[in-house]
Amino acid sequence: MSILKVENVEKYYGNKGNLTKAVDKVSFEVEKGEYVGIMGASGSGKTTLLNCISTIDFPTAGHIYINGKDITTLGSKKLAKFRREELGFVFQEFNLLDTLTAFENIALSLSILGTNPNEIEMRVREVASRLEILDVLKKYPYQMSGGQKQRVACARAIATNPSLVLADEPTGALDSKSAKMLLESFERLNSELNATILMVTHDAFTASYCKRIIFIKDGKIFNEIVRGNDTRKEFFHRIIEVVTLLGGENSNVF
Amino acid sequence: MFFKLALSNVKKSVKDYAVYFLTLSFGVCLFYMFNSLDSQQSMLLLSETQHAIVKSMIQIIGGLSVFVSVILGFLIIYANRFLIRRRKKELGLYMLLGMEKGRISRILVLETFVISLFSLGVGLAVGAFASQGLSVVSAKMFEVNLNNFRFVFSAGAFLKTILYFGIIFIIIMLFNTVAVSKYKLIDLLNANKRNENLKIKNLGLSVILFLISVVCLVYAYRCIIHNGMMEINLEFWQAIFFGSLGTLLFFMSLSGFLLKVLKANKRIYLKGLNMFVLRQINSKINTNFVSMTVICIMLLVTIGALSSGIGMASAFSGGIKEATPFDASIISLYDEKNKKSVLQDGEEITKIIGDKLDEISDEHVEISLYQLPIKYGDIFFDSGVGEDRKLSLGYFTETGIVAMKLSDYNSVLKMQGKEEISLPENEYIFNCNYDAVKEYYDKSKYKSISLDGREYKLYKDDMLGIQYETYMTLNDFGTFVLPDKALEKYKPAQKVLNINYKGNAELCEEKFKKEIFDGFNLNQRFIEVTAKTVRDQSISLKVMVSYIAIYIGLVFLITSVAVLALQQLSESSDNVERYALLREIGAEERMINRALFAQIFIYFMMPLALAIVHSIVGLYVANRVIMVIGRINIAWNTVIAAIIFLAIYGIYFAATFLSCKGMIREKSKD
Repeated sequence: MSILKVENVEKYYGNKGNLTKAVDKVSFEVEKGEYVGIMGASGSGKTTLLNCISTIDFPTAGHIYINGKDITTLGSKKLAKFRREELGFVFQEFNLLDTLTAFENIALSLSILGTNPNEIEMRVREVASRLEILDVLKKYPYQMSGGQKQRVACARAIATNPSLVLADEPTGALDSKSAKMLLESFERLNSELNATILMVTHDAFTASYCKRIIFIKDGKIFNEIVRGNDTRKEFFHRIIEVVTLLGGENSNVF
Repeated sequence: MFFKLALSNVKKSVKDYAVYFLTLSFGVCLFYMFNSLDSQQSMLLLSETQHAIVKSMIQIIGGLSVFVSVILGFLIIYANRFLIRRRKKELGLYMLLGMEKGRISRILVLETFVISLFSLGVGLAVGAFASQGLSVVSAKMFEVNLNNFRFVFSAGAFLKTILYFGIIFIIIMLFNTVAVSKYKLIDLLNANKRNENLKIKNLGLSVILFLISVVCLVYAYRCIIHNGMMEINLEFWQAIFFGSLGTLLFFMSLSGFLLKVLKANKRIYLKGLNMFVLRQINSKINTNFVSMTVICIMLLVTIGALSSGIGMASAFSGGIKEATPFDASIISLYDEKNKKSVLQDGEEITKIIGDKLDEISDEHVEISLYQLPIKYGDIFFDSGVGEDRKLSLGYFTETGIVAMKLSDYNSVLKMQGKEEISLPENEYIFNCNYDAVKEYYDKSKYKSISLDGREYKLYKDDMLGIQYETYMTLNDFGTFVLPDKALEKYKPAQKVLNINYKGNAELCEEKFKKEIFDGFNLNQRFIEVTAKTVRDQSISLKVMVSYIAIYIGLVFLITSVAVLALQQLSESSDNVERYALLREIGAEERMINRALFAQIFIYFMMPLALAIVHSIVGLYVANRVIMVIGRINIAWNTVIAAIIFLAIYGIYFAATFLSCKGMIREKSKD
């Protein structure tokens, strides 16, 4: 069964006279345990699409099913419940609460969920050890490096065992070493815990960690490639080819 | 064009301005109300005595108003700074677009002008109506009728308010201009970036500091309860010092301490957003504990002023009835310097006045007071009462004891409708109604005096306490009533004529003052005290103390809550992001609202809670003082004060909560 099913989703901005189609009739599916990347230039509509999937924004038309539930028809209260139970978020800017320690940041998503307090501590430690951040649990965000912060954010996202982890440019604010560590963590979460991850990025290196990549251009699906049995390096080159093709059309304008 | 921009800016940030506006209007309203008292008094039928006191009250309030306007001025500048800080990014954008700093200042000046004009208008309008209510309250407190209730508008207070606040506004405009000229574009544009350098303290240290603060506070309470408020000595200053230090440490460590304690209880700490709320408060208080301490102390002053001030005032009027047993008294003065009576040999007040007295009175009695060659000090202090007492009674110890003939004493008793006393030859009555002296006399075991070689024993081994003249207070420090024979050879040092009126009391009072006291030119050597004057004076005094207490109390209160509100609001830009994040990770709107409510509620309650504990101790001590003076409990006044207090606190709390909620909502719509 597919975890995520996007069906003819459209998102329009503006009015009749001046209509911008940020997302234009996009359809795709993500199976359980998949690690999917969405690539596209800035302004291609990839973040709008992610916002629609993450229920932060609403599509103008079309349906989005997560775990078989149509999230476009849910009320705001049910949405909040849905969000905390089914989704996990990782943002570019980490979005950790600066007043809370790493432990508390991770525990917060569980306590909002109403998890038994005794269980919370266990779960936090378990996730933290998997992401190798046990030693920063007592630190505040301002005492951590960018990579550590992002892994804490990552731990927060998966602590609740969500059906789907959504990551929006997770490496965007990291140096290359931290980025690599984070992506390896993602890969491990995907292979060991069978976590389903949907990641938005415009960076080919980051995307090369995914198992499948959907390319978006001007709101429409432009292409889709699957890693299959390729090594990461091979996959990276294939991505570059598509990216060149994406940009190449622009050069025809001149 | 700039006016339009300024106006639309004001409209746009109405929510931000709500607390600013509220504070300004409250300030203006209070200022007008209390400064318009002099025009209101024209409506009241006040006696001359009351007029005199009201006049001095108006002078005091005028002086206080300068102080008040300084406080409000600081508050407004503080509030204004908060508003500017919130708009740094907007100002940065203007600069980026190439607007000169001078023009930006001009926009800010215009904005301030619009807001000020608006709040001045609203404040004055509300003040004008509220001052009518104040007249009714005044009438009630003065126990007089409003002769003709009409709407009174005080042009003087109006102009004064505009002048004072005008100056404050001009200062703010200058302040803004200077502030803008100092800004750097890069700082303005980056203003939204959070300051990550949070002051987070070691929680273990917090627990230790908290315990120290509790010890300090308990010690301070013990000192003040033991010492009382009347004697300003080392112990008193110790109480003040340790009280302040304890309060400071309390706020420095409280949130850390709570965090430490609650962290141990996972059931509470890891439930819903509790952890988040606690951390929010912790981070805010860690940076604001000094202002928290100041606010707590100001709230203490407010509570003290509102309840104790009123209580103290009613205590003044408490003993009036006992102090004025006769309608009027004329009392001869005593030349303390030369230790000589001002009376001529055999002179009597009744004789000076003659027939005139019969016009106003059927019932009057003239008594003589003697000063004997025994000193009070000899009686009170040579027999076991400590040296420290001697100091507090001062010259009294060096004065010869006052004595009175039994026949005079009995005539006073008779006039008061009390039973006369027959005294054995070798006994004396000790009459005293001044509490402090009574206590000393009780302690001294000296129960007999010797005069001209004869011993006199204390009658019935007890003291009596009648008031034998009408006076402002119960003023008998101790009078020795002796058999007539014992005083025969002495000359009276003072004479007192006690009068009860007949017929129309008001006419008699007028006649007594004008025709008798002034008519016979008695004011050189005598004083007159009438029951009505004393009553009027004490009522006016009560009104004066109450009004001053309420004025100061309210200003302090508004200042405190406004600062609390602004601190919460100024944090809101950080909060907006934090709460948006909570929403993103799936916290429901209800949960978020509850967390916001809890955060603001706890923040508002913390200084108040400690101030209440302080004031319970303070009022307990003050109550003992007041009860010594007038035996009036202040419980009732405390209730009224509490209602006013909570109403204002509640308004500010609601305004803050709604503003913060609005800010958080705004972000989620983006």
